[in-house]
Amino acid sequence: MNQLSTLKERLVAFFFQTATDTWLTLLRLGLGLAVILYALSLRNDWNYLLAGATGLINRNLAEAILSLDTRLTPRLGWFVALGERFGLTEQMVLSITWFCLLGAGCMLFVGFACRFSAIVAWSLQLCAAKSGAFLAYGVDHFMTIGLFYLMLSPLPDRWSVDWKLRKRRPKTPELLGFWQRVLQLHLCLIYFFSGLTKCLGSGWWNGSSAWRALIRPPFNIVDPELLVKWKYLLPVAGICIWALEIGYPFFIWSSRTRIFWLICICALHAGIGLAMGMYLFAFVMIILNIAAFAPLANCSKML
Amino acid sequence: MLRRKRLCLAWLVLQLLLIVSFAARDTLRSIAEGPTILPPSLKSSSEKAESVLSTALGQRLRTSNPYREAVSTYANLAGIEVGYGYFGPNVPGTYKLTFELHYPDGHVEYEIPQVSNAAAGLRVSRLLDEIGQTTYEQLRQILVRMLAQSVWRQHPEAKTVRAVFEAIRLPALNEFQSGKRESDQVLYTYDFTVAERP
Repeated sequence: MNQLSTLKERLVAFFFQTATDTWLTLLRLGLGLAVILYALSLRNDWNYLLAGATGLINRNLAEAILSLDTRLTPRLGWFVALGERFGLTEQMVLSITWFCLLGAGCMLFVGFACRFSAIVAWSLQLCAAKSGAFLAYGVDHFMTIGLFYLMLSPLPDRWSVDWKLRKRRPKTPELLGFWQRVLQLHLCLIYFFSGLTKCLGSGWWNGSSAWRALIRPPFNIVDPELLVKWKYLLPVAGICIWALEIGYPFFIWSSRTRIFWLICICALHAGIGLAMGMYLFAFVMIILNIAAFAPLANCSKML
Repeated sequence: MLRRKRLCLAWLVLQLLLIVSFAARDTLRSIAEGPTILPPSLKSSSEKAESVLSTALGQRLRTSNPYREAVSTYANLAGIEVGYGYFGPNVPGTYKLTFELHYPDGHVEYEIPQVSNAAAGLRVSRLLDEIGQTTYEQLRQILVRMLAQSVWRQHPEAKTVRAVFEAIRLPALNEFQSGKRESDQVLYTYDFTVAERP
């Protein structure tokens, strides 16, 4: 009985650890900036990629397929239909959603109306990802995940405008540690399954997958001749990638290996970003990792 | 406070269970589809396990089923409806789509789906992967037709459009060293006539 209650206490202590809100500041700043960059990177193509009949690909098709799975997930079509009632054209509604997303990113970055801007950023980013499902890739999923947790976390943090100027305070500051744990555990599962799936392919053992990933359009930024010169490193790189990922949930928790693992994972993402042109993806992953596990994320005297 | 903590823990258990289920389902699907380093005999058991997980997640139920609707909606809202096997177990091939625009005077122009920057280009590449990897021929045709129509809108004077969908064959490292470079292999061609003009 005693053992059981000790275990229960330990579990509660683990999940509801005492934490400062520095990690939340990092997450808010990082995801706010990511939303801004996401919106800006698509500013010229937003309407073209997400329009209905006049777009690159008809948004209604992705939304129809989404409806087969779930009819309640938000999508841009809802806003377009609502806009039509007020006499707004589809192009106008799409432009408004882009401005709202950019605005939500800016508000999130400075920490003004944190919760509201987190909800707006999450919902609009989700709508864009779902309505443009044929055009979505990893970065969209990770932004949704990050914004989902951010919106549920005890905002505002102490470095936000809400805290400094509007004197707003979080309603449940005791749950700061819990939400950081959620993010940590989710990242552990992400890396474990990512590494596991990779290590099942022989190409990730002999270097051929690393080679293919780096010469595959549109990720072929590095000159293949340069890769040939360093060909003996390709198998090492392939093995290191999946080993780092599988090892993440085992080595990130110990204070002895945490820094090393975190630096390696962030370096891996930075490398992927630079060598494959996936800058935003790399940025989002680094932000999630730093907010979850960086020692400074739990330092109250940061900034 | 205790009640709130219990609620949080219950939600967390559910959340982690869903994350593991969706991620494991996709990993098992990768094993079933192969090739992997695992013995081929494991393919059928992976298929069965994947089927069990899909059933548990409600994916085999009718689309109107409330359980399926609830799980799918929540998973989509939380961004956990897919696994994390990026580029695993094997790095997939890549594709190219070219449109031949045939004009009334007989001349032909070539176009590819155009976007304004590399960030949007990554998304178009993702779309081409989707077209190449889908097992539904009808969906592939619809997607190519939509892309053809978007190009047609920019060149309304074109009489007919032919879409040529190709797989880009990447050379292995030793092939590259012996002078081989990437080559294209035509997978599908689609002809669109005036009736399909946007």
